[in-house]
Amino acid sequence: MASSVSSQHDQVLVEEKSFARILTFNRPKQLNALSFQMISRLLELFLAYEDDPNVKLVILKGKGRSFCAGGDVAAVVHDIRAGGWKAGANFFMKEFTLNYLMATYSKPQVSILNGIVMGGGNGASMHGRFRVATENSLFAMPETALGLFPDVGASYFLSRLPGFFGEYLGLTGGRLDGVEMLACGLATHFVPSAKLPMLEAALCAVDSSDPATISSIIGKYSERPSLKEQSVYNRLDVIDRCFSQKTVEEILSALEREAVDRRDGWISTTIQTLKKASPTSLKISLRSIRVGRLQGVGPCLVREYRMVSHVMRGEFSKDFFEGCRAILLDKDKKPKWEPSKLELITDTTVDSYFSKVKDEDWEDLKLPARSKFNLPPYVIAKL
Amino acid sequence: MDRAFQRTKILNNHLLQSSPSSPIQSPPLSSNACLNYSPPELSEFFAFDVEEMRRIIDWHHMELRDHLFGMISRSKLFNPRVRGGKVFVSPDFNQPMEQQREITSKRIDYLFERGVFKGWLTEEGEEVELRKFASFEALAIFDHSLGIMLAVHFFLWGGAVQVFGTKQHHEKWLKDTETNVVKGCFAMTELGHGSNVRGVETVATYDSNTGEFVINTPCESAQKFWIGGATNHATHAIVLSQLNINGTNQGVHAFIVQIRDANGKVCPNIRTADNGRKIGLNGVDNGRIWFDNVRVPRENLLNSVADVSPDGKYLSSIKDPDQRFAAFLAPLTIGRVSIATSAVYLSKVGLTIAIRYALTRRAFSLKPNEPEVLLLDYPSHQRRLLPLLAKTYAMSFASKYLKMLYVKRTPQSYKTIHVFSSSFKATFTWNNLHILQECREACGGQGLSSENHVGQMKAEYDVQSTFEGDNNILMQQVSKALLAEYVAAKKRKKAFKGLGLEHMNEPSPVIPSQLTSTTLHSSQFQMDALCLRERDLLNRLAVEVSRHQAKGLSKEHAFNMSYQLAEDLSRAFTDRAIFQTFAEAEATLAAGPLKDVVGMLRSLYGLICLEDAAFLRYGYLSVDNGALVRREITKTCGEIRPHALALVSSFGIPDAFLSPIAFDWIDAHAWGSVQH
Repeated sequence: MASSVSSQHDQVLVEEKSFARILTFNRPKQLNALSFQMISRLLELFLAYEDDPNVKLVILKGKGRSFCAGGDVAAVVHDIRAGGWKAGANFFMKEFTLNYLMATYSKPQVSILNGIVMGGGNGASMHGRFRVATENSLFAMPETALGLFPDVGASYFLSRLPGFFGEYLGLTGGRLDGVEMLACGLATHFVPSAKLPMLEAALCAVDSSDPATISSIIGKYSERPSLKEQSVYNRLDVIDRCFSQKTVEEILSALEREAVDRRDGWISTTIQTLKKASPTSLKISLRSIRVGRLQGVGPCLVREYRMVSHVMRGEFSKDFFEGCRAILLDKDKKPKWEPSKLELITDTTVDSYFSKVKDEDWEDLKLPARSKFNLPPYVIAKL
Repeated sequence: MDRAFQRTKILNNHLLQSSPSSPIQSPPLSSNACLNYSPPELSEFFAFDVEEMRRIIDWHHMELRDHLFGMISRSKLFNPRVRGGKVFVSPDFNQPMEQQREITSKRIDYLFERGVFKGWLTEEGEEVELRKFASFEALAIFDHSLGIMLAVHFFLWGGAVQVFGTKQHHEKWLKDTETNVVKGCFAMTELGHGSNVRGVETVATYDSNTGEFVINTPCESAQKFWIGGATNHATHAIVLSQLNINGTNQGVHAFIVQIRDANGKVCPNIRTADNGRKIGLNGVDNGRIWFDNVRVPRENLLNSVADVSPDGKYLSSIKDPDQRFAAFLAPLTIGRVSIATSAVYLSKVGLTIAIRYALTRRAFSLKPNEPEVLLLDYPSHQRRLLPLLAKTYAMSFASKYLKMLYVKRTPQSYKTIHVFSSSFKATFTWNNLHILQECREACGGQGLSSENHVGQMKAEYDVQSTFEGDNNILMQQVSKALLAEYVAAKKRKKAFKGLGLEHMNEPSPVIPSQLTSTTLHSSQFQMDALCLRERDLLNRLAVEVSRHQAKGLSKEHAFNMSYQLAEDLSRAFTDRAIFQTFAEAEATLAAGPLKDVVGMLRSLYGLICLEDAAFLRYGYLSVDNGALVRREITKTCGEIRPHALALVSSFGIPDAFLSPIAFDWIDAHAWGSVQH
């Protein structure tokens, strides 16, 4: 059956099982990094499924040890070198459009996060109705280390996590395991990987789009394991005290004050991580999460598209290219950020990332019309 | 079949539980499909950039406001509740008074811990003053009690220490106030004296033997009354009291008196009592204080205006007792400015909720089997809400003017600030109550539910028309000030200067007997008409007052007898002043869709001002022109209707601070949301 709709070489494998469609990211060597081709294909499939009454449920998973490690940023940098910044912006335009479609999808999406889920991988899963974590899940939004910022709608989903946990994850790129993902709400369920085949089979027998029905099916295979004692999620009070501060500088000094009060490896690691990240990235990321907290998912993506266009254009900082060089290409892990210090980045510079790009050919992200679909309440609440 | 009959039949069917298809020959009434909530975001079109609009009307500290909103939405202390898949924060007004007070204190502690008030009293300059206004506006959207507790602490107590006090007081109290070590209140009003502060009966007598003031409540009417923070919260009070030096009364002065220790125990010779449950604002512990010959050191006299030497000599740089008294009321000005500006934000909340609801709620079909009509597509509903939207935009621009006037104040601008802050405080707070009431009714039964805010906010904000100056008295002061300007200008044969009265120096504008639609909408015409009314009413008031005086009445008595003209004049002044800020804001915008919409709003605001009865009462507009104004209002409402969602979205009120009926109200009321 599967072979009738896709071939082994396709980057996205498609299986049709009764009313369910299983889409599998198929670039295991690249940890399923999202290529432009994959994004286009997903967009095409999601659009077609929405109009198809024979599709009631979409399942997303990844081949190998990764669900999806993010957007294929190395390819984006390559495209920009070849075709200018707009080639890069174009990638994100397509990706964010897909994110919006997933966030406002009229049918439930179940993402099985049995492995690495980072950056763009979160964009392809967190907006969907169900996110199933396993003992193999590894979550991160590591963009600030790369000179980028948490995009793909992260300013929407990170900002809605408990307290100021979203600021913590977005600024430090902190990693979570599956249990932590469940605890903070990034995952809706935790299913041990051994039970995934059974879960998949059960989901393929569903003939309904009713979220309560699907939730109870996943619930049958779910567990609620407890957090490790050292889990970062047990440090929510410190995180709230520090990451609620108004500016990145104040967050850092709050952390430093905490470090004085007690010896704690986690605090010093957190401080070190923040000091290693791109200062520009930190500032625009914090602002983005803060603004995103008060916006619907559509305006979040429109704003992030403005921001990412500015980043690609490199008008105020070229940290993204430097980050990709240091982390992905040369792998010396020693990026030279410019501006190099937080205090060198003014509010006006930060503001400019949120403005329209002054370029004749550039336009704001146009979100696909959703009014003709009968959107479920959990989608309406996100608008 | 006529509609009445059809309706009767539907009702009959409802009552008898019969099927709609009756034996009577009639068009079949199909049963309606279930209503779906259709989010207005997906159908309404934004013709202009709402963020840009917000930048224009909020204009300062937007990031700070958003930060505060975010901080509130992140903590359980702010009572987050999920309705219709969204989280809403709101005080729980159903809690008993004691719990409301307790949680308000905890919220204040939370904000202190997060450093929200850093620099509020220890920094100086325009930036920190605007920062305070922005914070106050943002916090007031969540809860008035929270805002008032902070306003009492920072603006009244802290402001009094800053303004009445000198260096020694600043050093001793400001830092501790900013860090909440000292919790202040402001004991001015008494049971027997509210607006008439000069009549307070509390007495402070200087005892030169000990170098202390003895503060006493000599009679029951002298008990301090309505003092925010007095019942539980405050540790210290600014006490306004008559100063008695060797038997001579030197008038009202301000003293610092500790009323509680750090553990909350009331100090010796102080008695406090609760003012009890109020119609709103129950998170504030308004209370009463009696002083039983409480002794405070000489240094506790706030001595920027007047001092008493150790041996008991009264020293003041201001000889005129009237001026001295005026100086004492200065801290109330910041209170008025912040009350006025925060009232506008409540109107924004009310209108956002009512307009969003009107864009999703339908009622009655024009023809059988047609979908029901959206509330906001009824011209009558537009007429109810959209002029209020224009008024709220007008108040936003006027707020900006008022705040700038305040932060750029000089000793010379005191009178101007007093007049504008009085006029805008009274008018904005009255407007706000009216707007909230209309919004409440426009939401129908939903408006009555306390979780939907609008109705509850009326009770919470009602007090704004009374505190920091009774609105009617403030408006009288506006007319008095205008009259004084008039008398002075005539007496000295000098041109009018200040308070926007320069138009009085020009020839009187003439209103054409036959107005056209174009003229009516023009900014210049609208301004002329408003100036004409102000000018004429000022002339009339001067004539009437002098007529009374000629009959032998005192100046005060003559003014009191002319109260109707005084009321009309103060409104004329206020409308003109607000309109002027609106027209000037419009003029500075670059051509484009945003300016077009602002122009429509300005025009609508001008038109509703022209609907004031004074225009017909005094004959500034003919009856025909009055009718034309009315038609143009309806037309303009129709033109603004497509922008309604964008215009309320530009207010920048986060979803969490609105209410369930502003969003998916069907899901919010689904069976699944009921606590089983």
